[in-house]
Amino acid sequence: MSEVMGPDLISDLPQSIIESILVLLPIRDAVRTSILSSKWRYKWASITQLVFDDKCVPFSNDRVVVEKSMVKFITRVLFLHQGPIHKFQITNSKLQSCPEIDQWILFLSRNGIKELVMELGEGEFFRIPSSLFNCRKLTRLELSRCELDPPHSFKGFACLRSLSLHQVLISPDAVESIISRCPLLESLSLSYFDNLALTICAPNLKGLYLEGEFKDICLEDTPLLVEISIAMYMTEDIAEHFEQSSNCNFLKFLGGVPNLEKLVGLIYFTKYLSIGIDSVHLPIMYNNLETIELYQVNFEDAKEILVILHLITSSPNLKELQISGSSNTPVAVDIPDLDFWEKECLSDSILNKLKIVKLSEMGGWPHEIEFIKYLLARSPMLETLSIIPCVFDVENNLKMLIELVKCRRASTKAEVIFIHE
Amino acid sequence: MFDAAMAVAKPEMKSYIWLQTVDGSIQQVEEEVAMFCPMICQEVLQTGMGSSKTYAISLPQRVNPAILGLILDYCRFHQVPGHSNKERKTFDEKFIRMDTEKLCELTSAADSLQLKPLVDLTSRALARIIEGKTPEEIRETFHLPDDLTEEEKLEPLRNITDDPRIRLLNRLYARKRKELKERKKLKDVEIEEEPKDERSVEDLLSFINGADGDIKGTRSNKNKKKNRRRKDHAKDLSSKTASENDKDLNPLPSAYCNASFDNGLEASASKHSRMQNLPGVNFSPKFEFVDGDVDDDLDPAMKEELDREVEDFARRLNSDWPERMQILSLGQDRRLVPISMNSNGSMHLYTNNSISKVSGS
Repeated sequence: MSEVMGPDLISDLPQSIIESILVLLPIRDAVRTSILSSKWRYKWASITQLVFDDKCVPFSNDRVVVEKSMVKFITRVLFLHQGPIHKFQITNSKLQSCPEIDQWILFLSRNGIKELVMELGEGEFFRIPSSLFNCRKLTRLELSRCELDPPHSFKGFACLRSLSLHQVLISPDAVESIISRCPLLESLSLSYFDNLALTICAPNLKGLYLEGEFKDICLEDTPLLVEISIAMYMTEDIAEHFEQSSNCNFLKFLGGVPNLEKLVGLIYFTKYLSIGIDSVHLPIMYNNLETIELYQVNFEDAKEILVILHLITSSPNLKELQISGSSNTPVAVDIPDLDFWEKECLSDSILNKLKIVKLSEMGGWPHEIEFIKYLLARSPMLETLSIIPCVFDVENNLKMLIELVKCRRASTKAEVIFIHE
Repeated sequence: MFDAAMAVAKPEMKSYIWLQTVDGSIQQVEEEVAMFCPMICQEVLQTGMGSSKTYAISLPQRVNPAILGLILDYCRFHQVPGHSNKERKTFDEKFIRMDTEKLCELTSAADSLQLKPLVDLTSRALARIIEGKTPEEIRETFHLPDDLTEEEKLEPLRNITDDPRIRLLNRLYARKRKELKERKKLKDVEIEEEPKDERSVEDLLSFINGADGDIKGTRSNKNKKKNRRRKDHAKDLSSKTASENDKDLNPLPSAYCNASFDNGLEASASKHSRMQNLPGVNFSPKFEFVDGDVDDDLDPAMKEELDREVEDFARRLNSDWPERMQILSLGQDRRLVPISMNSNGSMHLYTNNSISKVSGS
């Protein structure tokens, strides 16, 4: 067998390179290298990243079988492993809450875990053991479908930079306390929360991604925030809360983020911001804000339009604007208050840097047309304005086009692209 | 005139760095290309070397001239800031197409020059080569010696399994290993003292099971020939079973091995219905036991011997009761110690008295 073989090509490469090669392999292949030769026997055992996904055990339709073999496999790998483990990831939809996970997390907490990602399957939520809160070196934590309950003595993760909780059962106080006790936190992502009223104090936070039913969001101490993406769902409770609220949400939310570069708002976000907007004089300029994306904006609600206008006029360096209308057909057919636009037209703000505008789900409502007119008249550097109507109604679209053609354009280069299927 | 010449010459003035590879040859490389390598950059900035032929920078041993050429091609492309990400990716994909040996050399050389992007690129290529291959294929690609014994390949399985049947098998292995060690010691001690009986278990059993007349015939001068033949046979089969085992045990420390054991166990359990708690014969039992050359084929021999034991034990238990009594006591005290010859020619194979009954007079 080994008669005409040349010299061993690979076993003598530096351990760091072998480790990086092994880490690039699926975990099964990496472990199998232990039977290649005597030199390779334990090379895999010191890799610092262990990633277990749907492919690391053979497929079976029986979830219990897959779960059992996953548990066995992971336990064996951990048992044979030597040295620190920096990254541990399980993303397997068939694995649900089982007692062995407690032991794994305990083991990891003793081995210097830095990045922990656990995305378990649907079904009973796994209750994260308290040993997780002893992982002092944790820099990244991503949990899905778990139950998290920090102990009272929990002082926070001193090194945590990225926190992502998706469908996690946790009390609002606990969330706030974790966030405020992680001084280095740069990225926060919370999704699928119910009825959460959140106050965020995170002096180092750079990226915020929220999705769920939020009653209230207050960014109390987030001066370094650069990117925000919020999707707010509505329930009856929240709707009521909105109606009764006397706050100015715009200020509460965007009042303390001068370094914002990108803002993305979905579903009811614009509505949320519109509450209390009448009384606002905008205090700050967003000098770095270059991209604004707002979806499901109700163009019949003058307040929501006001939100957009406020944002635009406070962002002198805005380059890209994407607005998507809400696809609700208008209930009221009465004439909208177009005086509003006359008021706005008096203000002399020019959108000097605006280059790209994309408008989708446009129904041709009067406010939409006025908005387009507004944009075209004030964007001397505009390059493309693309419009996607929401219904393929030839007559309606024709009306829209007729209006558009009438618009005065400040930019000689502007291309108005009407995308129609 | 002189000015004109200078005017022509000026645009051509580039600075070069001089590099020396381990074989002594010296190359001249454009400065911006060479400085793309952190190690060279460091050398130039810290020691000022590389500015002339006499002061060429010595490159690490892992960088030979051919590989240096490749590395410099990489640097030459990537140090140009104007390329788009897509262009760089396309270049990388084309660049990485080379035979495995060169790829490994390149990885090693890039690492010694601290050129991390190239190390990442080559590591990814090597990972792609390894992924999905069987161990044999990987060994062949990288010229790895297959120097793990069967036992070592199985070891992780042994540590973690909780199947009682496999534990029993492991215990039997352990016991057998011990016995063989002891035998070896005794062999060494009593090397010249007694003529050893090196008959195979088969011979001995046939002798026990009543082939009385054949006793003197079987205990042979045929021995040596038989042994040699069996040794070769053993080696062939052991390599075959090795590769079979490889395939069975491929995803090594995992549940699959248990699964294959389970299958084997169930199959054999049905065969020997009374022997439900005996480990099954998963390895092929066609192999005959080699007594004499234990040192060479320790592990496969051990396994095969064990299969033999198990099968025979089962067979014997299925036969008649009186015989079974003898056989049971036989099986328990089975120590293959050197056999002493009686003057009457009957063999005392075992220390147990009952056997002398069988050998009869």
